[in-house]
Amino acid sequence: MIEPGRRWMGVARSTDGASRAAAAQAARAALTGVGPKLLIVWFAISHDPTEVLAGVRDAVPDVPLIGCSTHGEIAPGGPSDGTVVVTAIGGPGIEVTTAVAEAVSGRQREAGAEIAQCALRARADLPHRVLLMLTDGRIRDQEAILRGIYGVVGASVPLIGGAAGDGWQMEHTLVIGDDRVLVDAVVGVTIASVSPVAVAVGHGWRKTGDPMIVTGAGNGRVYTLDDRPAMDVYLDRLGAPREAYVDRDAFRDFALSRPLGVQRRSGAEARNMATEIDIEGRSIGCGTAIDHGGLAWAMTGDVDSILAATDAVCENVLAGLGGREPVGLLAFSCSALRAVLGDEGITWENERIAKWARNTPFSGFYTYGEIARVRGIDGFHNQTLAVLAIS
Amino acid sequence: MTTEDGWLQGQQLLELLAVISSYPDEESAVHGAVERAAQALEAEVAAVVMGTSVVASVGFPAGQLPEDDLVAVTTLRRDRLTVPGVGECPVTTASWGGTHPGSLVLARWDAAFTVQEQSLVRGMARLLELTLTMLRTLERSERQAAENAELLKSLRQRQRLVEHLFDIQRAISRRRPLAQILDMITGAAQDLLGDEVVGLWLRESPEGDDAKLVAHVGLRTGVARRRPTIPLAEAGAAGQAMLTDDVVVLHGYTETSTLIAELTDGRLRASMAAPVHDSGAVSGSLMVGSHQQTRGYSASDVQTLRAFAEHVSLALTDANTVDRMYQAFHDSLTGLASRGLFLEKLAKRLGAAEHDGKRVALLFLDLDRFKAVNDSLGHAAGDDLLTITAGRLKAQLRATDVAARFGGDEFAVLLYGVATTADAVRVAERILRTLGEPMPVAGRHLRVSASIGIALSTPGMPDPADLMRRADVAMYQAKRNGRGRLEVFTDEMLLSFPTSD
Repeated sequence: MIEPGRRWMGVARSTDGASRAAAAQAARAALTGVGPKLLIVWFAISHDPTEVLAGVRDAVPDVPLIGCSTHGEIAPGGPSDGTVVVTAIGGPGIEVTTAVAEAVSGRQREAGAEIAQCALRARADLPHRVLLMLTDGRIRDQEAILRGIYGVVGASVPLIGGAAGDGWQMEHTLVIGDDRVLVDAVVGVTIASVSPVAVAVGHGWRKTGDPMIVTGAGNGRVYTLDDRPAMDVYLDRLGAPREAYVDRDAFRDFALSRPLGVQRRSGAEARNMATEIDIEGRSIGCGTAIDHGGLAWAMTGDVDSILAATDAVCENVLAGLGGREPVGLLAFSCSALRAVLGDEGITWENERIAKWARNTPFSGFYTYGEIARVRGIDGFHNQTLAVLAIS
Repeated sequence: MTTEDGWLQGQQLLELLAVISSYPDEESAVHGAVERAAQALEAEVAAVVMGTSVVASVGFPAGQLPEDDLVAVTTLRRDRLTVPGVGECPVTTASWGGTHPGSLVLARWDAAFTVQEQSLVRGMARLLELTLTMLRTLERSERQAAENAELLKSLRQRQRLVEHLFDIQRAISRRRPLAQILDMITGAAQDLLGDEVVGLWLRESPEGDDAKLVAHVGLRTGVARRRPTIPLAEAGAAGQAMLTDDVVVLHGYTETSTLIAELTDGRLRASMAAPVHDSGAVSGSLMVGSHQQTRGYSASDVQTLRAFAEHVSLALTDANTVDRMYQAFHDSLTGLASRGLFLEKLAKRLGAAEHDGKRVALLFLDLDRFKAVNDSLGHAAGDDLLTITAGRLKAQLRATDVAARFGGDEFAVLLYGVATTADAVRVAERILRTLGEPMPVAGRHLRVSASIGIALSTPGMPDPADLMRRADVAMYQAKRNGRGRLEVFTDEMLLSFPTSD
């Protein structure tokens, strides 16, 4: 009989510039309890990923490990760039199973079904489970990966995770799984526990102006809104400066803090228009399908609204534990939010998460897409905060 | 319910249509539809059942598909479904007939499906049926490669239907006037089915035995313009479709009413009608009619008519939703905003004023001696007086201003973007003047006066309650000072005014 109540989570960060030493140092320090079951490593692209992997293994040779590159690391003490953060989860009553899918582009659904296998292998006698996944941020149509997983596990397992970042370079995103450094890959781990786990997601954007109808779309791009070139309609609606119409960087800077809202039953989903810019073709896109005929809105937000959403998401995720105290939180916050929050704002965001974590550790990273399937069948988000709480 | 919920209905069907019409074969169309339906309704699970087997599903863990339970839902033997990892969920289902009957089933964890959502699911089922029929036609045609002409015809037909449905759904989601949407549908039905006559009949009341002609193509204009009504029993296929809640095909019209004969110049030889629904109940029917004795209706024709009828249902349900929303937010007697709507708008305008560096003026208005009119001339006269007051009030306002009736003889007016107190006073004086003109009530010309209290927002005053209290205090001051006059709020007024706490 498994004894409940002694699960733990440890988080440690190293600012050492030497990748192997930094990873080893953080991994050792993260082991704050007995019986580690899972290690997660988030690291900046300034680090050599192979060295990071080797460093973790120097310190902890045989505990399942997943990880990815980031657009900034989240841990107690504030957000950071250029660091290695290691999270360890362990103790009795918690077990993990892992899966890796490679060469994902072009066969996203199939890859999702491969990742889902780790949920099928999870111990059946542990009633609470969640599938944590990290994806290469350069893979398009990540919703299809989630659909692939959903096709196997159905509504029975909530999903959480994030897409690896690389400081907007779109060249160095990668994940770690099977003790290898992987690109165009997804790593998944099913955490099964005797005690509740909970997932929540939310954003602080609000719709502005009248809705627009998607009148031309395909291949993850929106060509026309209200029968006019989508980029111009989007910029017109938001009163964009002249440069944003003609200059790629100006468009990106403008769009980062102004997602497109896609109408859903329970509210608008925010889509980041800043990553796939098409100045010549005047289309807009976010790598995720926006269907012909959909209703879309220009959205805006500010530091206050985003931080209010941080509070709401943390409150919801803790409520999902059904009265149990958390042992730790994993937070996946969108890279684009950094553009709105600024350096000061992400510090505040970190303080809010720390407040809700109630003296327990937390970690996470700034992502190229947040994964959280709580309700319905969709689970890939932009410009949100997604949080996992473990009790 | 918000306005957006209404928009969603049209939008979701439009998205589904775009998605499933892009699939090349039946299997992928069914799977796509199942996922899209689940997504649109934020349902955890969805399935298509044909006969006694589940041909596509989403949301059940592999190997745990409750096939018998899903079939039981489609035959209405179950109204809840146990979803692994989620629990007991409310369900909704919609079925279609024809040569390959099937049902769409959805289950959602938290909330039962609303009437509007059920109507959306019916619309989705209809679109799926239509798409499947077309795909089968295509497959058949592809097999018979020699019959290139037929392949081409069915491809063109499919393309035209998709185009028509797009246009109609766009009109619904853009809230075009209902009459315009219904005309679009009758026009499209004629274009696609090719019959000489199309008529849309709606029941006069939900349980009523009469139907009224509301839109048509090819009927005798002089008669149709009068919007004639007809007993259901005499309305041929249109009436039968309403009575049986199913598609009805009739040949020969020797026994029909004189009205039908008049509308069609006695030339109607064959007709088909499909029922339309409003918020789930049969509320009318869409009929097509031919002058040709030999006109037969194929399964594909039946489905096309059903698809258009379903769009009539969608438009009616949507229009009704808008009506209900309007009623919830407006005073039923005067049509002015309700107190709730007014407060909501006031809060928004105060926020906007703060942002734009503008001011908001609030006018509280109370008719003097309204009770005396009500008591001496009766409630009907009192109602007339209130309606005339509301009309005159509105006539003095701009589009950005808002007028509301708070109940009884109390009115409120919000003026946006006022520069000074003098601006608000000018509007209030105009209102007093226009209300002072004689009002034709109960066969007399009544002279009524009103008292108005005015308060202006100040920067940093985002709370509507503060402004309301100030306008209220000013109005009582006006009444105290002798009725038929206006007063602008000053802080001193608070000293002589009893506080509510």
